[in-house]
Amino acid sequence: MDLAFSPAQTLLQQSARTFLLQRCPPERVQELALDPRGFATDLWKEIAALGWPGLLIAPEHGGSGASLADALALMEELGRACFPGPFVPSAVVAATALGLAGGRRAHGLLAGLATGSRICTLALLEGPGRLAPEAMTLPIAAPGRLTGRKLFVPDAHAATDLIVVGHASAGPAVLLLPMGRPGIIARPLDSMTGDKLFELSFADVEIGPDDLLAQPGRAWAVLGPALRAGALARCAEMAGAAQRVLELCVEHARVRVQGGRPIGSHQAIQHACADLYRDVESARWLTWEAEWALASGRPDADATVAAAKAHGAEAALRVARRGHQIMGAIGYSEEHPLHLLHKRILAASQDMGDAALHLETLARAIGL
Amino acid sequence: MDFGRSPDEAAFADEVRAFLRAQPPDTFPSDGTDAGYGSGAHSRAFTRALGERGWLSLTWPRAHGGWERPMGFLLVLLEELAASGAPFGPLSGCLQVSESIIRHGSVTLQREILPQVARGEATFWQGYSEPGAGSDLLALQTRARLDGDHWVLDGRKIWSSHAGIATYGTVLARTDPASTRNRGLSMLMVDNRLPGMDVRPIRSLTGQVYHYEIFMDGVRVPREYIMGQPGEGFSQLLRGLDTDRFWGRFYKAPFLRRILGLLVEHVRAERPGDSVARHRLAQAAAEIAALRALFHRAAWLIARGEVATGPVSAAKVMADELGQRVLSLGMELLGPYAALRAGSPEARLRGEIEHQYQTAWGHALAGGTSEIQRTTIAVRALGLPAEPRGR
Repeated sequence: MDLAFSPAQTLLQQSARTFLLQRCPPERVQELALDPRGFATDLWKEIAALGWPGLLIAPEHGGSGASLADALALMEELGRACFPGPFVPSAVVAATALGLAGGRRAHGLLAGLATGSRICTLALLEGPGRLAPEAMTLPIAAPGRLTGRKLFVPDAHAATDLIVVGHASAGPAVLLLPMGRPGIIARPLDSMTGDKLFELSFADVEIGPDDLLAQPGRAWAVLGPALRAGALARCAEMAGAAQRVLELCVEHARVRVQGGRPIGSHQAIQHACADLYRDVESARWLTWEAEWALASGRPDADATVAAAKAHGAEAALRVARRGHQIMGAIGYSEEHPLHLLHKRILAASQDMGDAALHLETLARAIGL
Repeated sequence: MDFGRSPDEAAFADEVRAFLRAQPPDTFPSDGTDAGYGSGAHSRAFTRALGERGWLSLTWPRAHGGWERPMGFLLVLLEELAASGAPFGPLSGCLQVSESIIRHGSVTLQREILPQVARGEATFWQGYSEPGAGSDLLALQTRARLDGDHWVLDGRKIWSSHAGIATYGTVLARTDPASTRNRGLSMLMVDNRLPGMDVRPIRSLTGQVYHYEIFMDGVRVPREYIMGQPGEGFSQLLRGLDTDRFWGRFYKAPFLRRILGLLVEHVRAERPGDSVARHRLAQAAAEIAALRALFHRAAWLIARGEVATGPVSAAKVMADELGQRVLSLGMELLGPYAALRAGSPEARLRGEIEHQYQTAWGHALAGGTSEIQRTTIAVRALGLPAEPRGR
């Protein structure tokens, strides 16, 4: 057992925290959240210069070939800062899927993702809003024509490329398309989390045989690991955001004086803060255990990832919700960062499989 | 990061499992109730069997007859024993007391007690709580005064686990009559067989005896049977608090995983297709996994000699409250069968759920209540200001 961060991970976290404090403070996050077309082109260029979008991309395609653990160390900081934008879909999920898929087009895109010149989003969910193979039924034929729609597609306005999951005669299928392909129409949804989500309509879009990201029958071999990496990235993001909520609450409880003493000297507040601490710590260390299980090929890795996402979502949401009570009225105001953290956690809790989906995985793993 | 067992630890786990297969836990007679923490019943025979394998002195220095194994071996031993439902009730008490004797004990104590512990012949009760000193332990009234070569001990202790079937008690007593609060306290090692000891059982809500009340009337304890110097009792207690709490709860996660397995077995057999039960059991599985991760985080800090107060107290709160939820879920899933005791006609899952359900309500009180743990987290781990003390 060794639960220490590597020196490189510690360095990455420290430099990320410094950078994000300067370049992505809560005011900037808030400004981007309020702008219906908000996308921080400048920030994305800067993080590309720092190598973040290329962390999970192999050196031969211009990335740094870092591990998922390195990416999770960064995700904790991104969560803490409520970093907006398509980092998880593009730099974690798409980068992992493209790396596994291989081939000329995937490799070309990976090079663009690493330099920050391209961004790849994900068209996964449909009407039922569930991230399960049977709930992703967009009919795919390659060659053929694509007609139908996808929902909750993140940052379609900023993306250059698109991974589409649907169903072909041979089972699940995955396409890689340029966003500019004629017939792809994006309509913005308006989310309270500040995420830029879109409905994508495919109106008789021409699909060539080269557009398949994975050969028939291989779709889930490419997608499965990518979605697990995405789920863990969301776990780390939630843990980082929840840790920040805890710090804000403790700081407030220490300095806010009522009735002649800090409110943090009352058991009612102390015990609430202790519960936040328990939730932050348990969510965080289960995430890291799941990363280890995945990296070391443990037979229970899928179940551990599922447990991390299901527990992490519940625990981090509890932290945000109880945080409002500790923080008092100031936490209800738009200028205070608490709501940004709460909304970041909420969005992450539902993305990459909500608790219900992961509990289903876990139910099967325990023999039900 | 690495949450795994080293090759040596994995080999040791195989060794423990082989022992449990060769000598199944239920073939050992039990002589004390299972208090539900996950360490099973109290069984002298099983404790001796652990001693025969050297597993009661795994981590001790060689100078004290130990095997100098790293702490990871103990984690493996406890996890494997708990997963099998073995009756190792006295083990964590033995671990705590032997660690304390090695650190603070006189040469006499080390020479006389440690070999008995290693053989599984000595088990211990803790004499901390008193009728008027629970969460406010420093209100304790038990006193000991030096008379020649002996401490003369007078007082009364309560809620001491297995005290009637153990060999020695570690009794916190005031040895400086002029002192108040945390000064002037000392830890004495008291042999149950000494004249003046009166150990009376307290029947608990389960119908069984787990706790005892101990009346000490002029008990003459040999002078060297003190831990460290007089007056060091409270600082020793504080120093060992995190590790005591850790070793008293670490096996709760594998225990709850075993209980979850029983409930899954029940739902498969008797409520197939119950999607609510399925969902709630999966939820419990996620939380048990989180509890285990939190305990491993605490273990890693302890093994490195770092402060583990926050993770240990958080893990204890979570273990005890999750245990209550899991056993409550069990009672609900078993429906009218839930209350049937072991041995009753129609009892399900060997009647284990009702017993563990009842014991669960003591856990969030014992070893520092959940309220004390939360205050500890808030003040010591998070740095919130202490509540002004009432006088």
